[in-house]
Amino acid sequence: MNPAAAAAQSLAVEIAGVRLKNPLIAASGTFGYGVEYEGILDLSLLGGLVSKGLFLEPRDGCPTPRIVETPAGLLNAIGLQGVGVRAFVRDVLPRLGRYDTALFVNVCGDTVEEYGEVARILDGAPRVAGLEINISCPNVEKGGMLFGGDPRMTADVVRAVRRATRLPVIPKLSPNVADIALFARVCEENGADAVSCINTLLGLAIDVERRRPKLAFGTGGLSGPAIRPIAVRMTWQAARAVRIPVLGIGGISTATDALEFLIAGARAVQIGTANFVDPGVYERILAGLRDYLTRHGLTDVGQVVGTLEYPGGRG
Amino acid sequence: MPQNLDVALVERVPLDGPYTTLTFRHPVVARDARPGQFVMIKAGLSADPPLRRPFSILATDAAAGTFSIFLKAVGSESRALAAMETGELAQCLGPLGRPFAPPPLGTEALMVAGGYGIAPFLMLSRDLMGAGGAGRVFYGGRTASDLHLRQPFDALGVPLVPATEDRSLGHPGRVTEPLERYLDSARGPAQLYACGPDAMLHAVARIAEARGLPCQVSLDPWMGCGVGTCLGCVVWTQRAEEPRARYRCACTEGPVFDASIVVWPGETGSSARRGARKGVERT
Repeated sequence: MNPAAAAAQSLAVEIAGVRLKNPLIAASGTFGYGVEYEGILDLSLLGGLVSKGLFLEPRDGCPTPRIVETPAGLLNAIGLQGVGVRAFVRDVLPRLGRYDTALFVNVCGDTVEEYGEVARILDGAPRVAGLEINISCPNVEKGGMLFGGDPRMTADVVRAVRRATRLPVIPKLSPNVADIALFARVCEENGADAVSCINTLLGLAIDVERRRPKLAFGTGGLSGPAIRPIAVRMTWQAARAVRIPVLGIGGISTATDALEFLIAGARAVQIGTANFVDPGVYERILAGLRDYLTRHGLTDVGQVVGTLEYPGGRG
Repeated sequence: MPQNLDVALVERVPLDGPYTTLTFRHPVVARDARPGQFVMIKAGLSADPPLRRPFSILATDAAAGTFSIFLKAVGSESRALAAMETGELAQCLGPLGRPFAPPPLGTEALMVAGGYGIAPFLMLSRDLMGAGGAGRVFYGGRTASDLHLRQPFDALGVPLVPATEDRSLGHPGRVTEPLERYLDSARGPAQLYACGPDAMLHAVARIAEARGLPCQVSLDPWMGCGVGTCLGCVVWTQRAEEPRARYRCACTEGPVFDASIVVWPGETGSSARRGARKGVERT
């Protein structure tokens, strides 16, 4: 591609009033707090990043083993080990300030009140572009998926965070529900500015010799290429149900994968498990997106969003 | 700083059994790696299995810009690596992790290896001998064909004591037995290093605690990312000054740990903490 053509292309997108230089965001729980990748990749390559989930207090997380590979997938039960929101604001945020990328913070809570309290602390913090609300972690005893699996509790958490902050509020939806469109609508009606779609799928891997779960926690959350068709389908359903932007997530490791989500209606995408596999994934996907725009005579990545031609208007 | 590169396979040396040494071109690993550090590596882009695998760095050649790993092909990813042809590319990030701390001058390094846990001790031995130190390797396996790489230790002038559980080579039995016998007769100060199965590491740590010897263990838990973000490889640990145990990432705060801070399965606290409590009681 000649330089003039590249310069004429725009990969920038806008999510909930936040301008991203490109549609690639590092997904929560797969990118630490960002600082872990300092020196390994240029964080300014990313459109944005979402921090590991944060509660008010530090958490130990689940016992080990915490991860196991399954066919084209990764089953994890980390259990939201973390430093707590105050240590994040004090120790981590200042280090991230030098990078030209949008910082989203993943907000957790055991109770509705805790979600609101964490959001209030982040509301005044510098450089935070938005809050992703974790109502979908399958690996904690309280909170997490319990909130995201019940429309009324989803509404309560979204409202509590909405009241606590002026920052964009982005609930992360659980795929472990029958009708994801319903949950996307509940989020929109209660003040969400966008939704992330999807968190991990609840799974169970068994050690047949010991007749015990392979993970110490028991069940875990499945991610990676194995879940991509499910995530694309749910992104498509959610994007048709709401007017707020949808951030597509699930098994993306190539430009083609990312394009599936964009065509299904996602305004941006999050890269998760692929971060563990290859820190060079952002450069590869960005090059692939540019190449796709060139081949299709497009100038703006927004031109592919929601362009799925679905057979017979079904669905 | 670690560097993420597509690396070409330069040489493949198949050994007896499921073992192979592989040499890749990676100038940063070749130049910067310290004994006990590792690389995350994967053959090709296949998503099944999805993750890279951690391997101790066996040797480096800074002039050639290459490094080597020693692998036992046990799963689909390690088999794919072992089947690579020279010139093919693998994805590699490294060097990663905390290396072994060398022993103080005049202290003998006693290295205890189980199976493929021998890998990091070749570089440690090279550095030790280069610095005029002294070392000795105790190398255990199930059977003789598990014990490889003895010749390079000979070449460095580092004595190697083999032990096999099926009595096919060297000491008949566990590797900790000749270690204890040697410690019973040794006169000078010693520092223990161990890399191998968890049960062996725990046994060596107990020997070190009983004899009041410093001991560093290289742990090998399941690892997802190698850089401290997935939190899959955490180890339960407690320093003497810490009121409660906490998880530390084996990839970034290890893989080499002071054995006294590891809370081993079945124990309630670390030996560092037990030592600290004893200290309090004495005063």
